Amino acid sequence: MRYADILCFARDAATAYPLRTTLSVLAMAIGVASVVLLTALGDGARRYVVGQFSSLGSNLVIVLPGRSATGGFNPANGITTTPRDLTVDDAAALLRAPAVQRVAPLAVGTSEISAGGRLREVVAAGSTASLMAVRNFQLAQGRFLPEDDWRSSAPVAVIGMTVRNDIFGNQPAVGQLIRLGDRRVRVIGVLKSTGQGVGMNTDELVIVPVALAQALFNSNTLFRIMIQARGREQIEAAKAQATAIIKARHGGEEDVTVITQDAVLATFDKLLGALTAAVAGIAAISLLVAGVLVMNVMLVAVTQRRAEIGLIKALGARGSTIQQIFLAEAAMLSLAGAVAGYLLGQLGALVLRQLFPVFPAYAPGWAVAAALMTALVTGLLFGILPARRAAQLDPVDALMRH
Amino acid sequence: MPLTDVFKLAFRAVIAQRLRSFLTLLGIAIGIAAVILLTSIGEGIHRYVLGEFTQFGTNVISVHPGKVKTGGAALTGLPSSAKPLSLEDAEALMRLPNVVAVTPSVFGNAEASTAGRLRRVTVYGVGPDMLKVFKGRVRSGRFLPVEDANSARALGVLGPKLKYELFGADNALGARIRLGGLQFRVIGVMESKGQFLGMDLDDTAFIPAARAIELFNRESLSEIDVAVAEGVSSVSVMTEIKKVMLARHGREDFTLISQEEMLTSLSSILDVLTMAVGALGGISLFVGGVGIVTMMTISVTERTAEIGLLVALGARRRTILGLFLSEAVALAAVGGVIGLLLGVGIAQMIHLAVPVLPVHTPLLFVLLAEALAISIGLAAGVLPARRAAQLNPVDALRSE
Repeated sequence: MRYADILCFARDAATAYPLRTTLSVLAMAIGVASVVLLTALGDGARRYVVGQFSSLGSNLVIVLPGRSATGGFNPANGITTTPRDLTVDDAAALLRAPAVQRVAPLAVGTSEISAGGRLREVVAAGSTASLMAVRNFQLAQGRFLPEDDWRSSAPVAVIGMTVRNDIFGNQPAVGQLIRLGDRRVRVIGVLKSTGQGVGMNTDELVIVPVALAQALFNSNTLFRIMIQARGREQIEAAKAQATAIIKARHGGEEDVTVITQDAVLATFDKLLGALTAAVAGIAAISLLVAGVLVMNVMLVAVTQRRAEIGLIKALGARGSTIQQIFLAEAAMLSLAGAVAGYLLGQLGALVLRQLFPVFPAYAPGWAVAAALMTALVTGLLFGILPARRAAQLDPVDALMRH
Repeated sequence: MPLTDVFKLAFRAVIAQRLRSFLTLLGIAIGIAAVILLTSIGEGIHRYVLGEFTQFGTNVISVHPGKVKTGGAALTGLPSSAKPLSLEDAEALMRLPNVVAVTPSVFGNAEASTAGRLRRVTVYGVGPDMLKVFKGRVRSGRFLPVEDANSARALGVLGPKLKYELFGADNALGARIRLGGLQFRVIGVMESKGQFLGMDLDDTAFIPAARAIELFNRESLSEIDVAVAEGVSSVSVMTEIKKVMLARHGREDFTLISQEEMLTSLSSILDVLTMAVGALGGISLFVGGVGIVTMMTISVTERTAEIGLLVALGARRRTILGLFLSEAVALAAVGGVIGLLLGVGIAQMIHLAVPVLPVHTPLLFVLLAEALAISIGLAAGVLPARRAAQLNPVDALRSE
């Protein structure tokens, strides 16, 4: 029998029972669609986080105060106090490192902002002019903090978009005086809205010179020092140099944790990747169930087409030909299911992208390929038993029973 | 037709096509097993996390500096321009009714050293009542003594891991250690508490809060923790605390968080997670349902003549409907039971293989899963059963 004939035969057999075929295709399609859609969700989350991290700035090295002996990044180190402060002078000293391009000290705290009778709680960040370049900030209006001595506390502030809208409404903000804690400062710029981001929501941020922030919170210590390395390949060098400089300045005691953005990013990447794979695996269980269904339907088909098989065999067809016919039908069912599921899943992802434009829900290539392959393989694997059953039918027996 | 006959007929129909029925219920079984397995893991993690939190006592209210409008915890430890919490605030709270114990708390990271050994640890500045609030126990020696909070002596209690790292098997009691820039005398060693959410609770040193303020060169406390008497609602105590703090500070520049509230919200988040994971497994169950529809449809087509005969003999349409429905339900129910056994079995095996992963299958989930399987059988059976019931007996008989 020619292969074209086998395919036609299988196609006719499948279309003869439209309801049954549709249902098995549907089962397979649900499985493939759920794998495609769920991995699109998982991978979308991964891309979103990675994108958010990259928007923090490139080639970042971050110095945190405090270190834990047990190694690794300890959540307790995130925000904590140490006997020896991480100071603005430490940050300034880091500029000497050859691999370091820019340094931005960061002192963070909460404070109250008020103007014209309106008052709200904000996160105030003290930093310098270089923060703009380090963190890739963009301005909507005005200008950023002026480039001057880190120890001087010019009474100026750059505010986030939400803060601007809450305090000033439709009125112009740049040039206005606001009260921040117990200080009066002049708004010189408004940050462009970036939406919710990782770490700090810049829309609700008020940025002031670092000396002013430290005076406001009455502390000498910094929350972070953000370092921008001279290039991607210089990140490790910058990390080592920064650690050495701080250690030398702190009397030989290594009491800071230096992390690179890449390391944090890689951790998140791995974590979310594993999560996506796990979710895909769970969804793939439904492909197994669909495979069982295909097998069942094929078994029914073998029983119903006994006479036909007997006739073909009596006419001289070999067992292998019969087997091929049934395998072709099983493959067709699962292929149709896989393609339908793929389209359904992509449609779902498209709807998701339309509903949440910030969320890049694209199914990754490996997941799509794996889903399609799993569907085909399960279909074929579960088709083997019915096909062998059909091939082993005794032609006389099969014809007689009819 | 009597009900028993309906069941007998349905049972015979299931048995007659053994392999086919087995495969159909296998589909449901895999789905139920997936749901049970995933929710078991989810519920296990739920209990584990709640257990981790409740080991510190459930009746704790913590006072944080700074007011957060949207609720939830303030960014602990961040400096704030709000009026800071003081040791006097902690003392004032102790005088409230229904308050069992109060401990001020200042934490930070410092280097601990003794003769030649050095280790970076988390240092907690607390009050003598810390043990009562956080259910800690001292293994040897004693905890910080009760004395004037502002002029507490420089005494320290070590976590067991820190004690081991600094002193090995030697006696630590009475020894002097250096924390940051200050000298402390060790008066006790704590009982091991183990890890908590990735933080090692044994690698710590406890010193009086006033000394910690000095050590970290701060002016105020990180937080104040208040233990409420058993059986008293934390809400009423929270209002009392709020009153006292308002009177002392003049405005609401603090945030109160009760452990009870936190546990409730944590619990509901974990519940949602378990549900979501269960729903993922439900996709397989749904596909299994499609399997039942398919097989029942095939069954109706094959048994057209039989149905025609039954109707011709006077069987009512309701009987035919019941016949096919009960067949579908029987398939689903048996599949559900097999799936339950499979799911619980795999969950327990996973627990044996990976003891860290907590697993728990509540009876409620088992019942719900079985009910779900049965209702899937019912829903999947309706379409084919209706088709069977609406067959015209004459046509049906002719089709033979």
